[in-house]
Amino acid sequence: MALLEVRNLTKRWRNDRLALDDVSFDLRQGEILGLLGHNGAGKSTVLGITLGMVRPDGGEVRICGDSVQQHRARALSHVGAIYEAAHFYDYLTGWQNLRVLCSLSGWWDETEARRILKLVNLGERANHKTKTYSHGMRQRLALAQALLPLPKCLLLDEPTDGLDPEGIREFREFVMKLRAEFGMTILINSHLLGEVELMCDRCVILKQGRKMYEGPVPSQEKSQSAFILQTRDIAKAREVISAAAATMDPVTSKVELPTHTLGHELLKLLVESGVRVDSWQPYKPTLEEFYRQQTGL
Amino acid sequence: MSLFFQQWQGELLKLFARRRTYIGFAAFLALEIAILIIFRLKGVERVFERMIARQGMAFEQYYSALTLAFMILGISVVLLGAIYLALVAGDIVAKEGEDGHYRLLLVRPISRSRLLLIKYLSCMGYTFVLIQFITWSAFGLGLALKGWGGGFFVMAPEIGLLSFYDWDFGLQRFALASLFLSCSMMTISSIAFLFSCLPIKPAAATIGALSYFIIDRILKETGFMENYDHLLLTKHIVSWTRLLVEDIPWPIIIRDYTALAAVCLTCLILGIAIFESRDLKS
Repeated sequence: MALLEVRNLTKRWRNDRLALDDVSFDLRQGEILGLLGHNGAGKSTVLGITLGMVRPDGGEVRICGDSVQQHRARALSHVGAIYEAAHFYDYLTGWQNLRVLCSLSGWWDETEARRILKLVNLGERANHKTKTYSHGMRQRLALAQALLPLPKCLLLDEPTDGLDPEGIREFREFVMKLRAEFGMTILINSHLLGEVELMCDRCVILKQGRKMYEGPVPSQEKSQSAFILQTRDIAKAREVISAAAATMDPVTSKVELPTHTLGHELLKLLVESGVRVDSWQPYKPTLEEFYRQQTGL
Repeated sequence: MSLFFQQWQGELLKLFARRRTYIGFAAFLALEIAILIIFRLKGVERVFERMIARQGMAFEQYYSALTLAFMILGISVVLLGAIYLALVAGDIVAKEGEDGHYRLLLVRPISRSRLLLIKYLSCMGYTFVLIQFITWSAFGLGLALKGWGGGFFVMAPEIGLLSFYDWDFGLQRFALASLFLSCSMMTISSIAFLFSCLPIKPAAATIGALSYFIIDRILKETGFMENYDHLLLTKHIVSWTRLLVEDIPWPIIIRDYTALAAVCLTCLILGIAIFESRDLKS
């Protein structure tokens, strides 16, 4: 079931630049979806429209069935979000910032706020002014505010921006924990392909405001349609492979299987044909490779 | 309704946690002390002595805490009131945008209209509290200098008023007039609030609001708009001094404050409409 439905979003900025062109995708309950694209691809615009910060020229976003464009407050009551860089009130403490932000949701529970602050490792510094916080601490406070009150769905716009490798790792573990413990549905908009690959179940790739791909993160795809073959009988192997309607890349030795043919069946055919197979390994393209293919970069 | 008050409480928490909020009060107190020092100068006292004596009244009785408070209040509001309120109200929406706070505020389940209404009410509340602070701190300074009692000498050239009252009656009128002054000053805050809703820098919003009032005042003072002066806000704003006329001209006051209320409401609605139409993305 789709928790968040993005339907036919179109947006053109005042300078006539096309920001989004008929973008649609779904965020299913319990999944982590990565929104990918280079700068200016339209990722933040999608998130901006999803949060009612930007008005689309066409299309609609629904969260738990409520239209953001028609019933913004009701739709956003289901989500917590970090949108662009989080700028807190520097003259307030972390605790006071949370209090101010939660008051807008008409919600405040001190016990829950303390629990979440502890969860993001800010319990000790909650009563310090945010102007004394490091970038990593601000990001953690941003995450804490997004989790108060605990939402069904979390929308994160470049959440690891500016974090050091240790901070990124901590963040990744935290996101995985949120899904494992709370069954939370999460949309992450990020430049860091490696992180998306490690965290996300599916991804959406945008290029110049158009959707290029929506589907499983390639390296996590369960079906296996390509293998790397290592053999000294290249010529013979190519004959067998061609006869089986498969293809083989002469440079990378990547064998692409036709539909309805399984890897072990072709391997059996190769061995039975007398090809000396040194190795036969499933081919998993990295997200970066896949991203390059999709965006033509 | 409780949700609205909870949201408003958050806005007030922000307002009163900021040091700048209190700097305004301190600045006005300093200005009032400076004005009081000037009023104690012999030369200045002699001017008032002549003015009061010319009306056949006793200077010692009418140069009282109330008279000083009224004069300090009038001068403080003219010198700094409009500037300071335009500064605060000009900041209230635009500064949040400039600092990027809307990215945190508007991802919450609150409509933009409600957020602006909360900000507007906070701004009006601040205006009211500030004017009341100026009023009663001026009175306190007057009391410290002249003590309780005496008469009340009122001079309001804008409406051609020169009157003398006894202490109790004068104090009642002074308190009533200060309430209406608070309402008058809300118009300045409302205009600055409207400018603040435009996609401009906070300083530009303040300058825009102040420019409007300076031009409005110039047009009034020069008599250039004599036949159309009902269109000038400053004509209606000074109506608070009419509360100091012995027989209060309620019809004129009601007319003036209806006009000011209409301006405030228009500014709020226009501000919301402008803010609603904006795309909030860096």
